[in-house]
Amino acid sequence: MKKLILSSIGMWAGLSIFSAGAFADKPEEVTVGYLNLVNAQLVTKSLGLVQKEMPGVKINYIKVGGGGDMLRAIAGNQVDFGGLGNPPTAIGVTRGLPIQGIMVLNMLDFVESMVVRTSKNIKKLEDLKGKTIAAPFGSTTHYLLMTALADEGIDPASMKIIDLRPNDIALAWARGDIDAAWFWEPALGAVLKDDAHLFMTSGLMAARGYPTWDVGVVMNDFAEKYPDYVNKFVTAECKGIDFWIENPAETAQIIATELGLALEDAARMMKGTEMVPCAKQLTDQYIGTTEKNGQFVDTLIATSEFLFSQKRLPLVAERSVFEDFIDPSYLETVVQQ
Amino acid sequence: MQTNQQAVESNGMSIAIRLRQRALGTLANIYYSGKYLSILSVATILTAWFLVSYYGLANPIFLPAPESVIKTFWQVATVGYQGSTLLEHIGTSLYRILVAFLLACIVGIPLGVLMGTSRSAHRIFNPIIEFYRPLPPLGLYTLLVMWLGIGESSKLALLFLSGLPGIIIATIQAVTDINPNYIRAAKSLGAGRWALIREVYLPGSGPTILTGMRISLGFIYTVLVAAEIVAATAGIGWMIWDSAKFLLSDVVIMGLIVLGLTGMMMDQILKICGKIFMPWTRIKRS
Repeated sequence: MKKLILSSIGMWAGLSIFSAGAFADKPEEVTVGYLNLVNAQLVTKSLGLVQKEMPGVKINYIKVGGGGDMLRAIAGNQVDFGGLGNPPTAIGVTRGLPIQGIMVLNMLDFVESMVVRTSKNIKKLEDLKGKTIAAPFGSTTHYLLMTALADEGIDPASMKIIDLRPNDIALAWARGDIDAAWFWEPALGAVLKDDAHLFMTSGLMAARGYPTWDVGVVMNDFAEKYPDYVNKFVTAECKGIDFWIENPAETAQIIATELGLALEDAARMMKGTEMVPCAKQLTDQYIGTTEKNGQFVDTLIATSEFLFSQKRLPLVAERSVFEDFIDPSYLETVVQQ
Repeated sequence: MQTNQQAVESNGMSIAIRLRQRALGTLANIYYSGKYLSILSVATILTAWFLVSYYGLANPIFLPAPESVIKTFWQVATVGYQGSTLLEHIGTSLYRILVAFLLACIVGIPLGVLMGTSRSAHRIFNPIIEFYRPLPPLGLYTLLVMWLGIGESSKLALLFLSGLPGIIIATIQAVTDINPNYIRAAKSLGAGRWALIREVYLPGSGPTILTGMRISLGFIYTVLVAAEIVAATAGIGWMIWDSAKFLLSDVVIMGLIVLGLTGMMMDQILKICGKIFMPWTRIKRS
């Protein structure tokens, strides 16, 4: 027993020395969790831009299926950087996950859409009654589906809404198990060729006052230890966004290769999502500045209120909680450079 | 009148004494049987949990306080979680488990007896069972969803397949372990194959088959969450999976406790069934 205690003390001391060493100015490795969707993170990844900013650091990329899984990865401390849509962000921030929002990854338009089975003759939301509709629960599209139904006063209990991940939706669609689904590219493209058409898009919902987006987040621990590396990460992602905007043809090629798609599909998907240049992200429409937060805070509060009404959140957090979550300082540093 | 009073008093006394004796007896039983060790280990865990959360040593996202889990339990039991109350969630899951378990018994026990008594049957079925037994349930599930869809049948099939090998293997073991003297004795008395199975194999292998059934039920239980991940809207496994997405760890822990307790309960029921239907096993097993 004594031996055990001694050896565990020894181990503990060893560990603390080790972590003191790691406290130097450079992380040994950086893990980026990226969502399996179409945005400039694929460009950054493919061109190795993060690696170029961080020479000598091992960069790991982990593909994550959706917001719910990303939350789990963050809660389990498995990533240093991640990406979250506004509903998972609202959930994570309300539940006190140790993360900060540092930049806009993308604004969602028809890259996330509801498809309906053409042969089922669905013309309006009302026609969904009695049908089976799939969406990845906890994600942006699940949120928009529930919002769209609530907006028109349709009881969600009048239809069967099931939780499927995008890839499983494509599978279930091919088997004919579901009549409609709100999800995202690239899985969306596979479904569109099979008795399906776009019925609603996330862009249409944004026009109705329900914008959805993905925000880049960093773990607090990482940001405290290596603030410079957060800047480096933001720099790399900004370069990826610029590349996307300036070189659409090459970007389409990259996305087609990364996701194993046909070139014309990649080009179509690209148009469905908006990349915001980093300087523009600091305006009121997006994350705003350190002095004055932008409309992202309002979106997060509105999203929280909705999730609370759906009993998905135990409370609606104070405005200050969301203001503290969004930290434009890294982006400001990078844009000024 | 007085005697009546006395009688009542003495009656009351004797009830009190009897109660005290019974209480002492129970206490003594708990002490001498070593049950207090089990009570102690459970109490230690619960106290540690309480202290850790009371002194704020753990982040409540990962380890919510016991009282918030109890509160959640009450809320889910009365109001429900996402459209179904706790009983409905338990009912949905138990239905899936029991159907799969019954199917596994109906298919597994006869197949096991057949494979244990006939060498050719063993040769035919063994490679199939040995091949799919170690496959991870989620890998198998993907294929089952492709074949059977996202509805109830793929869930039941997954649970059934995960419960089947345990029963078959235990049954084969049980049948081959029977003392050959019993078989010879029965044969010398003129028993045919069916009489042998009915009179010797089944009664003799009962206890081991029961163990196999208990193992199989345990396996089905461990796969429940996996089976309810895809396109379920109710069930304890689904509730755990869904609430984890919303970081509702109090629901997750509550669900796990309910799952554990119902699992223990079903195991006890199986044991009791065994004692009732196989009285000859009472001597061997407690």
